[in-house]
Amino acid sequence: MTNHDTAPVIARDLVKRFGDFVAVDRINLEAQRGEVVGFLGPNGAGKSTTIRMLCGLLRPTAGQAIVAGYDVAREPEYVRQRIGYMSQKFSLYNDLRVIENIRFFASLYDVPASVLKERESWVLDMAGLNGRESTLTGTLPSGWKQRLALGCAVLHRPSILFLDEPTSGVDPISRRQFWELIHTMAAEGVTVLVTTHYMDEAEYCNRLVLIFQGRIVASGSPAELKQGAMTGALLLVECEPLGMALDVLQQTPEVADVAVFGNALHVVVPDAKAAIPRLRTALSQQGVTVTKMEPIRPSLEDVFVSLTTAQGALGKG
Amino acid sequence: MRWHRLSAIMRKEIIQISRDLPSLLIIVAMPLLLMLAFGYGVRFDIQHIPVYVYDREGSQQSQDFLKHFQATDYFHVVKTVDNYPALIHALDAGACRLAIVIPSDFSEQVKTGGPVSVQALIDATDNNTANVSISYSEAVIQTYNRTIQLEWLRRQGQAELQSPLTVDIRTWFNEDLESTANIVPGVVAIIMAVIGSFLTSLTIAREWERGTMEQLISTPVTPMELMVGKLVPYFVIGLLDTALCAGMAIWWFDVPFRGQWSVFFLSCTLFLIVVLSLGYCVSVVAKSQLAASQVALIATFLPAFLLSGFIYPIDQMPAFIQLITHLIPARYFMTIIRDVFLKGTSIPFLLDDLLALAIFALFLTILATRAFHKKLS
Amino acid sequence: MLGRIRGMLIKEFIQVFRDKRSRFLLFGPPVIQMLVFGYAATLEIRHIPTAVLDFDNSQVSRDLLSRFTASPYFDVRARLSDHRQIGDLIDRGEVTVALQINAGFAQDLRKGQTARLQVIVDSSNSNTALIAVGYVNQIAARYAQEYQRVRLAATSPLIQPHIPSIVLDRRPWFNTDLDSQWFFVPGVIGNLILVMVVSLTAFAVVREREIGTLEQIMVTPISRLEFILGKTVPFFLIGLFDTTLVSLVGTLWFGVPFRGSIGVLAIGAILFILCMLGIGLFISTISMTQQQAMVSGFFFNMPAITFSGFGTPISSMPEFMQWLTYLDPLRYFLDVLRGVYLKGVGLEVLWPQMSAMGALALVMLTISVARFRKSLD
Repeated sequence: MTNHDTAPVIARDLVKRFGDFVAVDRINLEAQRGEVVGFLGPNGAGKSTTIRMLCGLLRPTAGQAIVAGYDVAREPEYVRQRIGYMSQKFSLYNDLRVIENIRFFASLYDVPASVLKERESWVLDMAGLNGRESTLTGTLPSGWKQRLALGCAVLHRPSILFLDEPTSGVDPISRRQFWELIHTMAAEGVTVLVTTHYMDEAEYCNRLVLIFQGRIVASGSPAELKQGAMTGALLLVECEPLGMALDVLQQTPEVADVAVFGNALHVVVPDAKAAIPRLRTALSQQGVTVTKMEPIRPSLEDVFVSLTTAQGALGKG
Repeated sequence: MRWHRLSAIMRKEIIQISRDLPSLLIIVAMPLLLMLAFGYGVRFDIQHIPVYVYDREGSQQSQDFLKHFQATDYFHVVKTVDNYPALIHALDAGACRLAIVIPSDFSEQVKTGGPVSVQALIDATDNNTANVSISYSEAVIQTYNRTIQLEWLRRQGQAELQSPLTVDIRTWFNEDLESTANIVPGVVAIIMAVIGSFLTSLTIAREWERGTMEQLISTPVTPMELMVGKLVPYFVIGLLDTALCAGMAIWWFDVPFRGQWSVFFLSCTLFLIVVLSLGYCVSVVAKSQLAASQVALIATFLPAFLLSGFIYPIDQMPAFIQLITHLIPARYFMTIIRDVFLKGTSIPFLLDDLLALAIFALFLTILATRAFHKKLS
Repeated sequence: MLGRIRGMLIKEFIQVFRDKRSRFLLFGPPVIQMLVFGYAATLEIRHIPTAVLDFDNSQVSRDLLSRFTASPYFDVRARLSDHRQIGDLIDRGEVTVALQINAGFAQDLRKGQTARLQVIVDSSNSNTALIAVGYVNQIAARYAQEYQRVRLAATSPLIQPHIPSIVLDRRPWFNTDLDSQWFFVPGVIGNLILVMVVSLTAFAVVREREIGTLEQIMVTPISRLEFILGKTVPFFLIGLFDTTLVSLVGTLWFGVPFRGSIGVLAIGAILFILCMLGIGLFISTISMTQQQAMVSGFFFNMPAITFSGFGTPISSMPEFMQWLTYLDPLRYFLDVLRGVYLKGVGLEVLWPQMSAMGALALVMLTISVARFRKSLD
């Protein structure tokens, strides 16, 4: 009953409660073929729980997950044949050799013997592990381990890939290589759902879903998010002393938000043109020397901070 | 040694123990379980030995003879059968341990006099039970013999004869020869061995495994403070468990306590130091919790169970195994704890064993500190 | 389906046999424990340390005492002259039995009065005491019997040969020499298999859960049954191999006879191992960490062993505990082991035990498989 018209991944009002704690609160989501969807959010926001429900590892308390056209709760085995999953914790066998891990997962995924050789070498190529077939997996550097784990998760050429913080603890170069792999697969039509809390990684995604306290608080392409999600303009303020400037700005009514970024401040105001002169005056009155004050394009991190603080304030209020 | 650092470690340890289900199970449920399992499961006072009877005569006399078997608590006559195959099958199947066959001319033979042979087929698979059934059967037959002999002599017109010999047996310390009185104090030693080494080896190995030990070491805390701080809570738990077990022994199993509490706690303290240090050594050396617990089990529980005289008497073992038992601290503690419970022995009589325990305690504490230092460098 | 199970099996075997240490752990400890148990586990009592105190010092009293010294059961360690020394020696644990003959012993006998043999037994070890009391009674009874016969022969030579007496014609079957190794060695086989299979199975699953690989396997299309089969078949085979190994040690090293058929033992072992796999799996479903699995395993193993009749007979346990033993698979397997080894019986006798194990295996495996979920919550 696989229907090519329906999206490969659909979540409808997914809810997961652990006792009294609501980890995921009515999440709705659709991911299209070949799309790379990034789940962004602070620790404990419910990203991993959502992914685990979509893979059938956790049973949803309410709502429905449809993956590859099948209801995950009803036909988990059909779903599992068509998905690949990689968890945040490295979960291959450290005490097996590289090739033994590959063959083990190939057998679990029913990779036919006729194509086994070809898949093995494909994974080895992809993970850059040629010549390392009989290395004990536990002795590989962590970047290599991650690529091997990805390779093992896609041995059966799944059309949907779930990656739960796949690059935690991996150096930047390995991370870039890893993302290149993901994009190659997406280009071949694989739908990828990935959770991360690296902002630079989020930029690699076609679409971002921001999750906070179990809910989706924003979604869209990185560009859309940067433009639309923030109300007002963002100013970069370089000044001295920083601490006093922070105090002053927090007390200024027209400043919506202020945060320290390195040795400068990011200030959110409704209107940049009007605010710059007023803020300069207010700061110099208090003896703060301003060396630079200019509007900048918000980064994803700004969006992220802005949205979560807004939501946090809502949640408290 | 600084008190505030020491108490901080102890506090942390207590919080962790109270939040860890397996630890709590070991502390609370393990003593109860072992007490009940051994208190009820190990029985030397063999009773109710299942008996089958094949009475080929079925006379008044033979029935009278068999009544003597039925009357004692040692035997339980399960069934009377009327053919050999049934007896043999019962022995094969383990339905009885003893089968008694009375000859078809039993009463006739008794009347004419002379020795009358009664067959006892014994399932000697369990040699100990077999031995005991033989002793008991002999005793039953002796009593019966006395009755028929006196009767016979009277009929022959002989004066009533006195029995030439009586044996006046006094059993000291455990008058009713109950196993529980023997086994239950021993279980206290087993439990201390399990708790002491099992629990410490697990928690310390866990600290290494999770990397929190490195964090601890990087603080100004000294290795000595660390060791003492980690072990004191377990020491206290060990003593509480000991008290719990002693309480169960006295009030649940009715084992008499005849010694002095001071001697009891002194020996328990020494033995606890031994097992805790042993557990500490194991956990420092072992790489993982799993390895630590397995080694701890093999290093403490098995010897305490097998080679301490808990169930199997040491003096019956082959000479080289007897030699090995001298290296098992539980052996000395087993002697002390049984003597304190049942004999009420005081320190002068226990000096050798206490001294041996003290030497082990000292040696193992030093070893534990050394091992820890070595691991650090 | 077969491909996936085959994949699981290959993986499990690679992991088990990868390094020397785990290879050794599979086969080393069973053999070592078998050897230690085989030598240490005995409830036989010989050479009981004995003190004698002969105030009569007559030909008759010496004759009686010589019957004790001549037997293999009593070793005279001290000849005393003051009865206060008895208490001292017993308190110190240097002797277990003291025999005391008071002045006038020979005279009483001569006069036809009842002479008295006083015996003091340290019963703090109830097993030794029980057996000692049994031997004392047997020796004394035989002495009395003979004395009476001799006296009767002197006074009334005509009737003496006709005095009736019942003689126990003992026929210990299966273990004619009452050798305790013959009893314990088959039992140890059962114990070792139990401990090995339960803990290996429980650890195998829990370890995967702890290191996170279980999660990875759960998202693959492998079915519950395939996973469970893949996890248990290796331990089933290892269990069978270990059974063979320790059985060989029992037969070749300890010389325990093997009288039954290997086929019957194999059926029993298979059914028993299935029960243990069920329990191991069950433990893995209730444990999140290896530490918890270890503790749960201990909680199962200890009572399973003590209530199986491994050391002391079930018929001597309190009645409600006897009922509990019907749930203990080891109870049945010990019957099978001892039946096959010593009695040489086959299925015609052991079918109830086999069916009980089969039923228990079915129940335990069903419960464990039903409880085993392919999800994290």
